[in-house]
Amino acid sequence: MGRWEKNTAKWYEQTMVYCKLCGKIIPKNLWIADEGPERLVFCGPDCEELHRDYWVPSRQGRA
Amino acid sequence: MNGMNGIDTVTLSVINNALISICREMGTAMMRTSYSPIFNEGLDFSCVIFNRRGEMIGQAEFCPTMLGSAQYAVNWTIEELGLESFEPGDVVIHNDPYRGQCHMPEHMVLKPVFFEGEIWGFVANIAHVGEIGGMAPGSFAADATEVYQEGLRLPPVKVMSRGEYVKDVWKIILSNHRTPKTSWGDLHAMIGSLSIAEARLLEMLERYGAPFLTAASDRLLDYSERWMREEIREIPNGVYRASDCMEDDGVTDRPVWLRLKLVVRDDEVIADWTQSDPQAKGPVNATFVVTAAASYSGLLHLTSNEIPRNSGCYRPIRVVTKPGTVVNVRHPGPSVGGNTETHPHLQNVVVKALSEAVPERAAAAEGASGCNFLFAGVHPDTGEYYTNYHIDGSGWGATAFHDGDSAMCPENGNCRNTPVEVLESKFPWLTLEYRLLPDSGGPGRHRGGLGSSRILRVLAPEITVSALMDRTKTRAWGLFGGGAGASGGIFVKKNGDNRFRTFSEAFGTVSDSKFTRVVLKKGDEVMIRSPGGGGYGPPAERPRAAVERDVRQGWLSPEAARGLYGEGA
Repeated sequence: MGRWEKNTAKWYEQTMVYCKLCGKIIPKNLWIADEGPERLVFCGPDCEELHRDYWVPSRQGRA
Repeated sequence: MNGMNGIDTVTLSVINNALISICREMGTAMMRTSYSPIFNEGLDFSCVIFNRRGEMIGQAEFCPTMLGSAQYAVNWTIEELGLESFEPGDVVIHNDPYRGQCHMPEHMVLKPVFFEGEIWGFVANIAHVGEIGGMAPGSFAADATEVYQEGLRLPPVKVMSRGEYVKDVWKIILSNHRTPKTSWGDLHAMIGSLSIAEARLLEMLERYGAPFLTAASDRLLDYSERWMREEIREIPNGVYRASDCMEDDGVTDRPVWLRLKLVVRDDEVIADWTQSDPQAKGPVNATFVVTAAASYSGLLHLTSNEIPRNSGCYRPIRVVTKPGTVVNVRHPGPSVGGNTETHPHLQNVVVKALSEAVPERAAAAEGASGCNFLFAGVHPDTGEYYTNYHIDGSGWGATAFHDGDSAMCPENGNCRNTPVEVLESKFPWLTLEYRLLPDSGGPGRHRGGLGSSRILRVLAPEITVSALMDRTKTRAWGLFGGGAGASGGIFVKKNGDNRFRTFSEAFGTVSDSKFTRVVLKKGDEVMIRSPGGGGYGPPAERPRAAVERDVRQGWLSPEAARGLYGEGA
């Protein structure tokens, strides 16, 4: 299960953080999920869920 | 009657219709008070209402591309600025495609609605501002290679603070637009519409109270979601695929492919666009929100048109993209054509993917080009500099039940054509021809809608023109045996020349259909031919009376009638 974190970039930094699943640029509130050593960033728990039950299986040829 | 947690369905229906009416009234105010033809004739804008969580609770019959993406722009604004930053009388402006907007010309103005000291919700208006600076007059740079060439980029910033002008911001905006007087008028039309909506919403809040109106709008969101889920459940589970291409990107002369894997899983749909081509060098790239809006719009075309349109009906539709592809452009890629040209292609691909599953609800492909034509110069009668963003309608695809509509703005825009009289009274063009194009509709049991032909002659010493079109080499496909619609095109005949030529031939542009800043002289002529829509069903099944009517009306030549529909026709 993930957790909410704030994007800590300063207001003058033009950074762009993309959701790992849908690809949307996330304004400020990041949904963080750990997958082993990897830190995955999503726009919310819905995208994390779809990542796990659609995206990962489809890459493994199961969806 | 008390079907939804104590709120009776009649009251819910009244509230839903009141929210729609507010949006329509905003639109009427926009039409009557704006300066530019793309607002008051083209109606290239959308008026919407949001709750304080950034969910869209009211909209009307405006531009699907804006309606689908509006929630992203509003959500971004709320999240970046924070609810606590809003005060009564504030208006925020925002057009940044890298902050949840569609493309640069689409400007959103957003106003919080305070009731009893708290933000109850927001009213917003997204509109295509016709000139916002950048490398091409009319701000539709068909050969741009980065967003910085497409005009002035505005993150969410206040243009009004507690009802007062934020003059520093206005000065930056107006000094970067080529036609600041028009921008001034159009932006005030947008802001004025917000004041009307705010007043109407406050009337509703006075009548119903904030808790009741919040509960009712929440119920409407859930109701739309449930209805959409039921509609999706009627589509057989499975994986459906379809693709289409943009014929070129304006910078490199090669097609760019859009590929969809659409998964129906019980009551939800996953639109997976990740196999699409890498992002293009030129501006046919879509932002994520454009691709999302196109996915929503495609599904809305295939489901009941009675579902109340709000954020609830988008919930069961999931969109998956990969940054750095043509369906999700990465900074600093250009994207101005993504919203007008790529969006209808994406939407058509969704419909195509599901056409075998729900054939009676699907339509053949539409012309899918806004035929964007931009021009600028000094008007010889007034000595004033002008720019204009002009669009032409193309043919829509036929369905199982009727022929496609002719010369209509693509479905994603839902705008109107500009009358000849308005074009001629405001700008130094003489219209030599404006007509439906015979034989341009794809043949079928129901034929595709016809494209149009417009020929304009330059009356001023000079006019600088740009264009961004598609489907000039490709064609709108037919369904179930129906034929493809005719390609469109834009051509020029220089004064003294004896025929029309492509702009590549006459001026050496990379693309025939996407170019900027070509200077035409007095007496030169431009011909814009919009593409036709695809047909549905075998042409042999078209009733003879319908073929005869088409010939009689001049929509089908006798030769084409015999060739496409058989000797008997």
